[in-house]
Amino acid sequence: MAATVRQEPQEKERGTPLVVETRGLTKRYGRIAAVESLDLTVRRGEVYGFLGPNGAGKTTTLRMLLGLIRPTSGDARVLGEKPGSPAGLGKVGALVESPAFYPYLSGQDNLRVMARYSGVRSPRIAEVLERVELSGRAKDKFRKYSLGMKQRLGVAAALLKDPDLLVLDEPTNGLDPKGMADMRDLIRRLGKGDRTVLLSSHLLGEVEQICDRVGVISKGSLVAEGSVAELRGKQGLLVRAEPIEEAARIAEKLVGVEEVAELGGALRLTTDPERAAEINAKLVSAGLRVSELRPAGQSLEEAFLELTGGETV
Amino acid sequence: MLASFGAELLKIRKRPATWILALVWFILIVLFGYLFTYSFAANPPDRPEDQPPQVQQQEEAFNEQILNGLLPENLLENLFANGVFSLGAAIVLILGAMAAGSEYSWGTMKTSLTQRPGRLGMLSGKALALALFIVLFVLLGLAAGAMSSYTVALLEDASINWPPLEELAKAAGVGVLTFGAWGFLGFALGMLFRGTALAIGLGLAWALAVENTIALLPIESDWWESFRRLTLGENTSSVGSIFGSPNPSFSIPETLVEPERAAITLGLYVAVFAVVSLVLLLRRDVT
Repeated sequence: MAATVRQEPQEKERGTPLVVETRGLTKRYGRIAAVESLDLTVRRGEVYGFLGPNGAGKTTTLRMLLGLIRPTSGDARVLGEKPGSPAGLGKVGALVESPAFYPYLSGQDNLRVMARYSGVRSPRIAEVLERVELSGRAKDKFRKYSLGMKQRLGVAAALLKDPDLLVLDEPTNGLDPKGMADMRDLIRRLGKGDRTVLLSSHLLGEVEQICDRVGVISKGSLVAEGSVAELRGKQGLLVRAEPIEEAARIAEKLVGVEEVAELGGALRLTTDPERAAEINAKLVSAGLRVSELRPAGQSLEEAFLELTGGETV
Repeated sequence: MLASFGAELLKIRKRPATWILALVWFILIVLFGYLFTYSFAANPPDRPEDQPPQVQQQEEAFNEQILNGLLPENLLENLFANGVFSLGAAIVLILGAMAAGSEYSWGTMKTSLTQRPGRLGMLSGKALALALFIVLFVLLGLAAGAMSSYTVALLEDASINWPPLEELAKAAGVGVLTFGAWGFLGFALGMLFRGTALAIGLGLAWALAVENTIALLPIESDWWESFRRLTLGENTSSVGSIFGSPNPSFSIPETLVEPERAAITLGLYVAVFAVVSLVLLLRRDVT
């Protein structure tokens, strides 16, 4: 099992109530472990990205959190309740994998069915349809919906209970670029305030744009957890200057530069990339020839590949 | 449970396949229960000129007997003792398989369960909605039979005497027990196979091929007879025999089980299939 890179919570995050908490959560199918000893924590009010390659165990984890799948071992609490208990599910909205509805019913009738299951009053249906911008097509049969509309109906169903926790599993799957952008905007809006969003995705850009914190799962195990910035590691600048020894000497003396390393004929400075102009001025004023100066931070993709051992997303 | 019942009722009521099955059931009753039989009895084939008068009289009496069997006073005998109602077994089996299996085929089980109904509540709602539609299908069968027999009486200029209300109520009860057993067999199969295709395919193969083969196999032994007494088809036929004997011309095998015992057996089948469905839903992961 890979060791987990877990960033300590920031001061302001300590004491924030946990909405999702798992301890040693494991699901095995025979000898194959779909999820292995997963310790996950999602705090109230955050948009948490659950990132991992296809088949890493994201959906299995979400299904366990929703009570659809029973864990082989371990423990989980969702909003303080046992996963799948009616008390817990009353405050959880979920869209798991592809949106599945009754094809012969209209979007509105599908939501009526779901509203009856959850004991929600009918006026709420119009509200959520409006929120996902489906009011105009509410009376169309679900089978006539485009994939984007189906996804939006899935989000509408998840919102029916005005949930404290919204679980969205790959909500942009199969959408065109505009549909993806619209869905991301919607998730951002939904994540504002006290509502917690647990977003599973294999799209790094999506997670980077939307999420406050990220958990990376690989081969069933959580390999890292922290903010996007934390996972990307320390940011820095790549400097190519002549002579390089002199450039290194000057850089080491600069305030705010934590580390200087030689990297393939260039220097990698661990510092705030916004100090590029200032560093450039210092080097030039010292008579050095600067041929390249650019941010050299690790992208989330690089961090992800490093954490997952090069598994593609 | 009531909330789930409301949701299930909406789904089953708005599903076109439900009403297609109802239409097929109505047509089956009219065609196989009345129209074909009436056409044969009212329009007998031309007799050979040299046919002896004794044979001719026998044929006329036979046709008259068949026509009498189609009149309103013999409504229940025709529908139940002659096995017309058994045709509906396949229809309600499909209805039951659809109610359970479609949730898996469409992947809607996960969508519904995450809305909070709980597995027990959801299954109870489904079972209640199915039971309600089984009652409706029974009433539809009785109505189709009544309408057809009334038409025959008008065509034959015969007097119209309906069975007593008590008998009609009993018939509704027998119909609900029969359809309940077959409908919940389909329901349990839908749960077991997590889909409709295999559930309907195997269910129909059992109902139409295996059950009939079992009834017609000329095996004479105690264990075979004991086995036959347990089959759904045998108990369906037996419980229907309280309304009279089958028309001899229909070649329906004699029943082995007393009607009261058959009624209890069918009731137990309903309970067993419902419990099996519940255990399957409670114990298995929804993937």
